[in-house]
Amino acid sequence: MAGGSSTIWRSGWFWAGLAVVGLALYPQFASRYYIVLSTEVVILALLATSYNLIFGYGGMVSFGHAAFFGLGAYAMALLTKNYGSPMLVGLLAAPVVAAAFAFVIGWFCMRTIRLYFALLSLGFAQLVWVIVRQWREFTGGSDGIQGVPRPEILASHANNYYFALAVTILCMLVMWFIVNSPFGWSLRAIRENTQRSQFLGINDRFYKLIAFTIAGAFAGVAGGLYSQFQKWADPELLFWTTSANPVLMSILGGMFNYVGPSIGAVAFVALREIIKVRTDYWPLVLGLVLLTLVLALPGGIVGFVAEKARPLLSARKGETRAP
Amino acid sequence: MTWDIGTIILLIMSGLHHASILFIVAAGLTLVFGVLRVINMAHGSLYMIGAFVAASVIQQTGGAGGFWLALLAAPVAVGLVGAVIEFGVLRRIYQAEHVVQLLATYALILIFDDLVKMIWGAEYKSVSAPAALAGSIRIGDQSVPVYNLFVITWALILAAALWLLIYRTGLGRLIRAAVEDAEMLEALGVNIPRIFSSVFIIGAFLAGLGGVLVAPRGSIGLGMDLDILIEAFVVAVIGGLGSFPGALLGAGIIGMMYSFGTQIAPQMAMAFVFLAMVIVLIIRPWGLFGEPER
Repeated sequence: MAGGSSTIWRSGWFWAGLAVVGLALYPQFASRYYIVLSTEVVILALLATSYNLIFGYGGMVSFGHAAFFGLGAYAMALLTKNYGSPMLVGLLAAPVVAAAFAFVIGWFCMRTIRLYFALLSLGFAQLVWVIVRQWREFTGGSDGIQGVPRPEILASHANNYYFALAVTILCMLVMWFIVNSPFGWSLRAIRENTQRSQFLGINDRFYKLIAFTIAGAFAGVAGGLYSQFQKWADPELLFWTTSANPVLMSILGGMFNYVGPSIGAVAFVALREIIKVRTDYWPLVLGLVLLTLVLALPGGIVGFVAEKARPLLSARKGETRAP
Repeated sequence: MTWDIGTIILLIMSGLHHASILFIVAAGLTLVFGVLRVINMAHGSLYMIGAFVAASVIQQTGGAGGFWLALLAAPVAVGLVGAVIEFGVLRRIYQAEHVVQLLATYALILIFDDLVKMIWGAEYKSVSAPAALAGSIRIGDQSVPVYNLFVITWALILAAALWLLIYRTGLGRLIRAAVEDAEMLEALGVNIPRIFSSVFIIGAFLAGLGGVLVAPRGSIGLGMDLDILIEAFVVAVIGGLGSFPGALLGAGIIGMMYSFGTQIAPQMAMAFVFLAMVIVLIIRPWGLFGEPER
């Protein structure tokens, strides 16, 4: 385990526990605006963390993660609105649908690496996006699905927040155990040195495909939560510009730390809200921030986090990068 | 809809027109990738800027000469923007990983989108083709707009010019050498940064040219950057990233898929386009004319 010392291990859980307590108490003190905003942050944190399974841990740059997020959102919206299913059924269906697509898409994508992997994932995601947008009879076309019902018990903003938080924490825990399982470490080994891991008998394509599928499933959960929270789903959720957001959050917060993408999600939404109050040009500011990040750290954020911030982060949260 | 010869000619002409624009834009994308090994996500933004500059030039000058002036001014202006991008951003990240390059140029999309909104506003603009190109000619019992023929001619001229540039000039020889092995070329004393700058500026110029040529045909507005970017991606990927003949063939395929596809199954045309991209990437990731990544 990271760091090798049991105090570090314990302190990682200590900080996580403290964060959970803080997040749980938070709505008691916050206004409605902040509660709604936090619900979105929590969902996006789940999306970003799911993405980081393949990005940070698997070393795969996918530009199609939005497809799984959107499919989860549509699964929830269609089931609850058009077929009258209970919300929990929708929430279970969301990862199943997303994982099924992720498995098939991933199976093809594993034939390629690096840039072509990014392009192929983008191509598939766009294909799914087009189908969702054009299949008006089933998906509502470009209007999407409005008025996704919400169960009585989640009617209040605080309860909705608690629900999203509980689901996200549960998923984050499961993903934590996945990345720290032998499977998770094999994934890191593949990222660091594919050839060597092959010599060790690791079936790299299969491991990566499984990671891709798991990441898709959790993105589906995030999507299901999202359409339930926003009460709508539209094709924009699957568009490639949506795929860029989890990449951004992972980079912002740090892709080699388990909680990095979540912190990135907080930073992303906080920045957006701060900017939007002052100007209409949020994309401009986001672009400048992103550009500064990329240019100021020529070896990539990757290198920066690995080299400079690692001792700092690993001391607190438990290291996630293989030595 | 009857499938008489006139209809087919009409569809072919409309497909060729679309293909021409796609070729001009995708050629820039593929040229930049071939030499710089960078996927320029902001290529669509350059195209959009070209269209907006063209609209401004045409509106300011008013007269019939406006379009012809724009045809020169917009690509040059976009080429200058390209120079700024190359000096300011790309030059610093040639050695970086793909994801860094993708993110940096994605950041440029966001920045240019808002800059265009600041300068030109969010309203759609439209300009008309000059009188000389306004009418249409009859083929059989169908009429084909003269402007479409003009665009197709331009694309053909451009394809020939690019071919001459790459295969018959000193710069072209250096570009081809840089595609093969930029490091070796640098070791031989060639100023690689200058080659890279030139190539990127040419790429931007092509995007701008695509923008002007499309201006009289559609409404000019925000969002046209993303539309063309994805289409140009598909064209470049199908033909093989970095390959000119590939871009030409890819543009032809996609142009025809759009024009015939919208006639046969309007809802599915776009899906077929992405399906084509996906299939090519699965079977031959380096495209029809490309070479496997080194």
